This record gives sequence, C-alpha cells and structure tokens, in this order.
Amino acid sequence: MERTLIAILIIVLTVVIYLVMNRLYFRFHYPILMPAITAAVAIVLILIGFNIPYQTYMIGGDWINLLLGPAVVSLAYPLYKQRVTLWENLVPIMGGLFIGTVVGMTSGILFAKYLGFSKEIIYTLLPKSVTTPVAMQIASDLGGIPSLAAIFVMIAGFTGVIFGPSLLKVFRIHHFIGQGVGFGTASHAIGTAKAFEYGEKAVSMSSVAMTVCAVIGSLLAPLFVWIFLI
Amino acid sequence: MSMKFIKVFLQIVVLYIFYIVGVWLSDRLHLPLPGSIIGLLLLWLTLMFKVCPVNWIESGANFILSYLPLFFIPATVGVMNYFHVFAGKGIFLILIVVLSTLITMAIAGYTSQYLAQREETKRKELKSWKERL
Repeated sequence: MERTLIAILIIVLTVVIYLVMNRLYFRFHYPILMPAITAAVAIVLILIGFNIPYQTYMIGGDWINLLLGPAVVSLAYPLYKQRVTLWENLVPIMGGLFIGTVVGMTSGILFAKYLGFSKEIIYTLLPKSVTTPVAMQIASDLGGIPSLAAIFVMIAGFTGVIFGPSLLKVFRIHHFIGQGVGFGTASHAIGTAKAFEYGEKAVSMSSVAMTVCAVIGSLLAPLFVWIFLI
Repeated sequence: MSMKFIKVFLQIVVLYIFYIVGVWLSDRLHLPLPGSIIGLLLLWLTLMFKVCPVNWIESGANFILSYLPLFFIPATVGVMNYFHVFAGKGIFLILIVVLSTLITMAIAGYTSQYLAQREETKRKELKSWKERL
C-alpha cells in the first residue's frame, strides 16, 4: 500500500516537473533548457536535497521506464512516413550515416582507450550519437551504465547544436542532404531540432538519419566492442 | 475526450506487443539487436507491407513521440549515483564526446553531400545524353 502511494506520488511529481519544464522550454527556446535536462536536474536536486536514494525514486520511475520500449518501437512510424524521402536518396543517406557512425564509434573507443578509461565507461560512451532510449539500451546490453549514456548522448546533441553550424561552413557542407545527415547522425533528435534552421528538407533528412542510425548503431556497437576491446 | 484516450491507450498496447515480440525474438534467436529495435523493424515492415494498418498505431505513436523526453527522465536521474565518474580525469570524457561528435558530423555530412552531388551530376549527364539522342 505504502509502495503504491510512493509510486503514484513519484510518477505525478515527474510528470508535473516535465510539463512545467516543457512550458519553460517553449517559452524561451534555449537548447540548454531542454526538458529532458532541466527536469532531470530538478529531480536530482530534489532527491539529494531530501536525501532520497535513487532506488526509492525508481519505485515510481520504473513505471515510466516501462514506456521506453514502446517509445523505441514508435520510431518506426516517422520512418514509415518518410519512406519516399529515404528511398529517393537512399545512397547518399545510407552512405553518409554508415560511414559517420563507423567513424564516430571508432574515434570514441580509440580516444577513451588512449586515455585509459575502463571498459565499462567505453561501453557507455560508444552509443553517444544514438537517440537516448536506444543508446541506453545499447549501453546496458554491452555492460555499460545507461544513465551515464544518456548524459553522453546529451553532450553529443549540444555539441552539434553549438558547433555544428560553423563546422558545416568550414567543411563547405551546403547541400541539405549533407546538413541533415550530419546533424542526425552525430546529434540525433537535438541535432534534428537544430536542422530546422536549414529548412524542411534538411529536417526530414536528419530525422531519417537519426532513426536509421539507431538501428545501425545497435547492430555495430557489439561489433566494435568485439573488434577493439576483446 | 475519453474515446480518444482509450484509442491512444489501446494503440500503446499494440506498440507494447511489438516490443514484447521483439524482446522475445531477440532472446530466442540470440540476435545481436536489442528487442526494442527488433520491435521497431517489425512494426516498420508490417507498415510497409500493409499488414498493420497505419491507423492502428498512429495516435499511440504520436502520443509517445510527443512526450518522448518524459520517458527517459527516470533513467537519466540515475546519473546521481555516478557523479564521481566525472571527477579527476573523468572530465576528459566530455572532451572525447565533443571531439568524436564533431568528427562524426563532418564525415557523415561530407560523405552524404559528396554522394548526393555525384548522383545529381549523373542524372544531369543522363538527361543531356537523352536530349542529344
């Protein structure tokens, strides 16, 4: 009975905080105010402030977690809607995101290995450019830390938003396919939101790239672990 | 209002079934893909081959996707047990992610653009050949 009450309280608290942060984000539109970040920070502060352990929070949190699986499945729907875009630009999209993902994962592993980080951390770092729910799944399947993976995913997202525009200029990437695939492959959903500034075509490229990257990334991640770490 | 709610709820149940089947297949066949991704691919295939009508999942998928960040908040909060990771040399992890992301973006964008422009030139050449003939 007490557990049920705690669970309901935590679920309500999380949803309310999320909705408030969502309002805040739509009001000001700074990427740093993304509700996934601000809500998580607010909840962490509350838990630390009241000395509540994470395990207690998860009595309710686990119920919200339950929807992560179907959330990943839902990504099939936008991918289906964009089947024509994907089909008409199959080679440039697949070529770019495949090479991008390979280079992204390889560079992540090699940098981390060079600096002597543990395998657990490298497994966590590996899916940084994949959208959060999938990245957490990949990290946990490999033996990494899902919640830490979510943080790396956010850093990858912000990197794209902050440095992406100048990077595209420096490398003279002015074609909407290049811009969209660049944002989607490196910076997933956060990058896709930024791609709006490059027009609708870039957005749809970015969102296709992001979804396909989730599939390709979860296939490649165990392979790279096998190549570089065993 | 309540009808719409029931519809969204039932469609999320459908999405959940795809997820469960994905997990089951992943375990059973020892596939290297996570169950949720198998579920995604299954749904995508059934949509493409019109086995599953789009309006069976449309409202549910739209609902979940519009509240997507909410669903990974609890898992993200877990980072409170891992703050020590960023202490000391752990701060370099941020640098690694930033650097590796920039490389990814440059290479992915450049490759896509190169391939797209190559296809466009080919198409143009083909067109001009046809005109000459």
